[in-house]
Amino acid sequence: MGRVAREYAEGDAVGPLVKEITQEAINLFEGSAGHSEPSQFTDEEAARETLGTSGTVASGRMSISFALELMRRHFGGDVFNKTGMVDLRFIRPVRPGDTITFSGEVTGTSREANGLKVNVKIEAQNQRGDTTGVGSGSAIVPNAYLPPEE
Amino acid sequence: MADIDQRIPLDWDALEVGETFEKFEYTLTQEMIDEYRRGVMDPEAAFPTISHKVDVRQFNARYSDNGSVNARCAFHCYNSPVPGKKLTVTAWVADKYLRRGKNYIVTEAISVDEDGRLIDRVITHELKQPWEVGKKWDG
Repeated sequence: MGRVAREYAEGDAVGPLVKEITQEAINLFEGSAGHSEPSQFTDEEAARETLGTSGTVASGRMSISFALELMRRHFGGDVFNKTGMVDLRFIRPVRPGDTITFSGEVTGTSREANGLKVNVKIEAQNQRGDTTGVGSGSAIVPNAYLPPEE
Repeated sequence: MADIDQRIPLDWDALEVGETFEKFEYTLTQEMIDEYRRGVMDPEAAFPTISHKVDVRQFNARYSDNGSVNARCAFHCYNSPVPGKKLTVTAWVADKYLRRGKNYIVTEAISVDEDGRLIDRVITHELKQPWEVGKKWDG
């Protein structure tokens, strides 16, 4: 396989990635791990009792999944699924009916022993423009994937 | 007859950072992966392990509390899990802290498959006063 040239620079846009959150999607996410008990994610009464919210919310881990997708699409699964990470703080609840846009921006790069580490700032906003999550991610692009150094 | 809850009521002050829980194992099936991918609307999603909440599973099996809400989460990818392979999870209490009068517990877990491949690492900061969500955003 030939060398794949990939270049990364500060300010590069990552994404965006848009997700429409439905109760069905939340139920599938929770059900995929066998979480069948009513919870703040799947049951309005449980959400009222536990969180004091008027309805269910999506797990923060769904937002992590979306951030992983945002990054994987940018770096490719061959790179990101082996070297990637994301770290998000959850600022506001994400609820069924919300449309969440995940976007990123490259904030810097650094040479590592096994490649180039690319750091990305990540933000998630709902349809009202409110930030629901903010954080960072990174991937280490192997040396073999990078253009030769001058 | 109802099962008796044998969990220990959580005492945040007494909880020891570094407490490591019993390892647990599960097999990730293709059906689990497919359902997860439908849930996140991503047919190539490679880490369905995130929905299994493995870092808090053993914590929640040991301690009872008033619930929690995820305040922050980090996820590190090492190798995509293979359907049908058994995963072994080691989880521990990585930290605890008090911020603005609210209690947080940080749990961490690593998953390794039956061939010894490191799969992922997840670190979660849980706010132990989950009703703060409703007070702040629905109040």
